[in-house]
Amino acid sequence: MQRMAYTFSFPEEVLEHVFSFIWNERDRNAISLVCKSWYEIERWCRRKVFVGNCYAVSPLMVVKRFPEVRSIALKGKPHFADFNLVPDGWGGYVCPWIAAMARAFPCLEEIRLKRMVITDESLELIAKSFKNFKVLVLTSCEGFTTDGLAAIAANCRNLRELDLQESEVEEDLSGHWLSHFPDSYTSLVSLNISCLNNEVSLSALERLLGRCPNLRTLRLNRAVPLDRLPNLLLQCPQLVELGTGVYSTEMRPEVFSNLEAAFSGCKQLKSLSGFWDVLPSYLPAVYPICSRLTSLNLSYAIIQSSDLIKLISQCPNLLRLWVLDYIEDAGLYALAASCKDLRELRVFPSDPFGLEPNVALTEQGLVSVSEGCPKLQSVLYFCRQMSNAALHTIARNRTNLTRFRLCIIEPRTPDYLTHEPLDSGFGAIVEQCKDLQRLSLSGLLTDRVFEYIGTCGKKLEMLSVAFAGDSDLGLHHVLSGCDNLRKLEIRDCPFGDKALLANAEKLETMRSLWMSSCSVSYGACKLLGQKMPRLNVEVIDERGPPDSRPDDCPVEKLYIYRTIAGPRLDMPGFVWTMEDDSSLRLE
Amino acid sequence: MAKEGLGLEITELRLGLPDAEHVTVVNKNEKKRAFSQIDDENSSSGGDRKIKTNKSQVVGWPPVCSYRKKNSMNEGSKMYVKVSMDGAPFLRKIDLGLHKGYSDLALALDKLFGSYGMVEALKNADNSEHVPIYEDKDGDWMLVGDVPWEMFMESCKRLRIMKRSDAKGFGLQPKGSLKGFIESAAK
Repeated sequence: MQRMAYTFSFPEEVLEHVFSFIWNERDRNAISLVCKSWYEIERWCRRKVFVGNCYAVSPLMVVKRFPEVRSIALKGKPHFADFNLVPDGWGGYVCPWIAAMARAFPCLEEIRLKRMVITDESLELIAKSFKNFKVLVLTSCEGFTTDGLAAIAANCRNLRELDLQESEVEEDLSGHWLSHFPDSYTSLVSLNISCLNNEVSLSALERLLGRCPNLRTLRLNRAVPLDRLPNLLLQCPQLVELGTGVYSTEMRPEVFSNLEAAFSGCKQLKSLSGFWDVLPSYLPAVYPICSRLTSLNLSYAIIQSSDLIKLISQCPNLLRLWVLDYIEDAGLYALAASCKDLRELRVFPSDPFGLEPNVALTEQGLVSVSEGCPKLQSVLYFCRQMSNAALHTIARNRTNLTRFRLCIIEPRTPDYLTHEPLDSGFGAIVEQCKDLQRLSLSGLLTDRVFEYIGTCGKKLEMLSVAFAGDSDLGLHHVLSGCDNLRKLEIRDCPFGDKALLANAEKLETMRSLWMSSCSVSYGACKLLGQKMPRLNVEVIDERGPPDSRPDDCPVEKLYIYRTIAGPRLDMPGFVWTMEDDSSLRLE
Repeated sequence: MAKEGLGLEITELRLGLPDAEHVTVVNKNEKKRAFSQIDDENSSSGGDRKIKTNKSQVVGWPPVCSYRKKNSMNEGSKMYVKVSMDGAPFLRKIDLGLHKGYSDLALALDKLFGSYGMVEALKNADNSEHVPIYEDKDGDWMLVGDVPWEMFMESCKRLRIMKRSDAKGFGLQPKGSLKGFIESAAK
């Protein structure tokens, strides 16, 4: 009795204040599960919402639960859409979300979209509906034109960030959408137009940059000529991140000196990208700022190894480097020698469809970086040869890896020294890198690698598999062993029904599973859809109704994701939802 | 500097005329042989093509995102030519449009293949085992440096840094064509 007298709850205001310091989405989600009153308090003070799959929950459910949202991030199409494996018109439409939020969230300030389809009408609705709109980030999005951008520019008086990263934009040839920013508009902090193909109005751009004193990030598109870059930079010497346009022009001494002076005038510059069509003679113009650089994205820059070595050797503070494979092993040796704080390295292929190597990049380059860069955590590496010995060395050198994505360009390439599968090499990676969260496999692999992954990959959240494995046992190892797996994407592997059906409940704990060119039968898909009502089991078949083929016929593409919204309403004709299909049968 | 440039051009013009005559004579003398050589090479490459065709490309592999593929395709608008060197295990690509003349080209080739004896090939062409040649629009193999840079740039389809012994078989008489350019560039 005495003890009970001391039990009490904090007032709601106090809890709300405490919760406001907790910004991590997972922590927020955990708080909302504690009890009903915490659920209520949390939902009213939730300001940021992230939806990893726009079909996992309906817009109405979100707006009902979280009435005071200020910032929302949405993802649409499967990741494999980037590689043309998802047919056009599959979905990922943001329109219903914008419509629902326009009614429910008049105070919304930020929208971030990835792999979604957004129309000009939606952009116009955004421009008119949210009075204090500040941030629009469109990554790998499509469906809109510069008319939609003009509406955003004209109406969003408080816009701070406009980021069009690798999106497909239908462009008005005049490039005048920038002129729609009002002369009184001064709040821009970040502008990324790198994905636009056509010329923009440079005079409008120059005026815009000149009147926005807080601009920190500017990523220009390719069409911005190099000799105009100095004038642009003079308008915003406070820049921290810059993406250049084309980086070549007729060689004239005054262009070089203007460029060098402009770069030298940017005292805060830490990040560079762009550099399309590089003329090596102009690279020394950036040398004066190299010692400050922490991020360098040269992954569209055709720069030969010797020039890259000169550049990288002057950037001792790099944390992040993205390059083409022109860097070669020699450049990676220089990187390993110079950049001791490097955390992320991405090496992209310059000739991904060539049948022979066009550069001298091998596994040794990556080995040297793993030896020389003690803080390396994230790797994306395209190459043509690899060995178990190299992978063992990398695993031993860098147990702190959290992301390891290796793409050996030719499918089913074995260890080039022993001609054996690469199982033990990748096994070493998952065994020794305890914090590994993301893994992409390639090369010749048997079920044995999946046994390693299932046993050791306890923190693995995303796994990408191609042309690998022997039987259902491989998939079973992954689904039954990887406790934290959220996304699994598989192509061209002999994985079939048994593993999938035996681990059906696992799929409800995951965000999504993609399987294409595997051995999953239509019958198994139907069974799965019936057995697990909270999964959307989508068979994607552009050849026609899968019902027209036997149940044991393998499906070409399968996308499974958990949802509380049920079958989606915007399915195209080539997508068949299994639960929906069975209900149709009942009719 | 300008004078040196003019000097180079004058030198090119002077060498061009007698060289043209000489090359013509040589071609007349060994026309059949050169033609058959080219035929053999075409036949060989044809065979290679057949082999390559058997490897069909897989949709979505390697996993290079669509955006990157589109942006790389713009490379086609450049004046890229392939460069091979006998003895080197790989081909390179070089954008002729980004170079001002033969001296720039020589330096670029040096950077690309320096580790395979390119430096020696360029500096001591008379004694080197390698000679730079190119295939022009007509499919003929020519010595690099025999024609003005602009003409070369317009007609060059690909480059090869070839062994001297093979060059003789092609009916080409190496005369240290890039030697002067390297020395000039070094100054």
